[in-house]
Amino acid sequence: MRKRYLKPWLFGIIAGSMIVLFEALFNFYPPSAYSFCLTCHTRDLVNGTVNLIFRTNFQTALISHRAVEATSFFVILGAFIAARRYREYRLQKSTRPLLFFVAGFDVMILGIIIFGCPTRIAVRVGYGDLYGIIAFAGMVFGIWIGTVLLKRVSQKLT
Amino acid sequence: MLTLALAILGGCIGFLAQRSRMCFVAGFRDYFIVRDRELLSGIFSFIVTIWFLTSVLYSLNVIRSGIPQYGDAVIRRSVEYLRFSLSHVLRISNFLVGGQGEAAGLSSHFMNKFIYVTFAGGLLIGFVSTLAGGCVLRQHVLFAQGNMNAFYYIAGFYTAVVVYYVFLFKFFVKLY
Repeated sequence: MRKRYLKPWLFGIIAGSMIVLFEALFNFYPPSAYSFCLTCHTRDLVNGTVNLIFRTNFQTALISHRAVEATSFFVILGAFIAARRYREYRLQKSTRPLLFFVAGFDVMILGIIIFGCPTRIAVRVGYGDLYGIIAFAGMVFGIWIGTVLLKRVSQKLT
Repeated sequence: MLTLALAILGGCIGFLAQRSRMCFVAGFRDYFIVRDRELLSGIFSFIVTIWFLTSVLYSLNVIRSGIPQYGDAVIRRSVEYLRFSLSHVLRISNFLVGGQGEAAGLSSHFMNKFIYVTFAGGLLIGFVSTLAGGCVLRQHVLFAQGNMNAFYYIAGFYTAVVVYYVFLFKFFVKLY
């Protein structure tokens, strides 16, 4: 069976228009550019649950009073359906659990501080947010530093 | 109702991301290493689509172009916000011509700590995501495909929320 992939530029057009039209149609407003963000929605979900159980007052966005933001679960569910449907699901054992744990931990804390995962940073660039553009420039610079490091390591190994 | 719509949006984007192997970090990484432009075209079409649609909807007054309220009230008050707009351009030109009244506002904007925090945070996000081999969306998709490295990534992701707000919030709130 030949695998057919979606072209990435088509993903950009479909997902981008879905994100913007979602905010326009459902008036998903108080923080704008908020209809798709994995760190912020996860933060609201976890903090909302903790606030409900322990009566604490952790930070949540204003929109979380109107909706339960379980985006993280449903992204996994949608991708799982796609992987099953096109037979790409296969179990791979973990090679470096601690490294990936620390990476996820860091990305979450940095994402809480600057209000966005890489996806929402790109969304905010589209919205014309100055802080989004600065964060995007920083992200590209960080990726460049990371690629230089990866090249160094691969040269040493060979 | 809103929850259901959000779930459908998330599911659709997860489905499409699995099909197109889209990643917001790997696009730049592939370009810097092997000059492969395929995923980079995805990132730029994403940004250009959003830019086009938001500028159309701003002009139709469908989306309110007000202040986005970042987080809770304390942070909202302290985080200064600026949108690229005609008034901003006018303010800069006023500054260049020599308007003394606006100069304080502009310099206070460049003195704003949060700009540097944003740049440094973006830099570290890019660096750590490159080492982990994908952005947050890509890790969720990899976990759905059965990659157990991504499972540990997401476990760290959820642990960090609780750890941040219980232990680290007192220190990091000074950054705003």
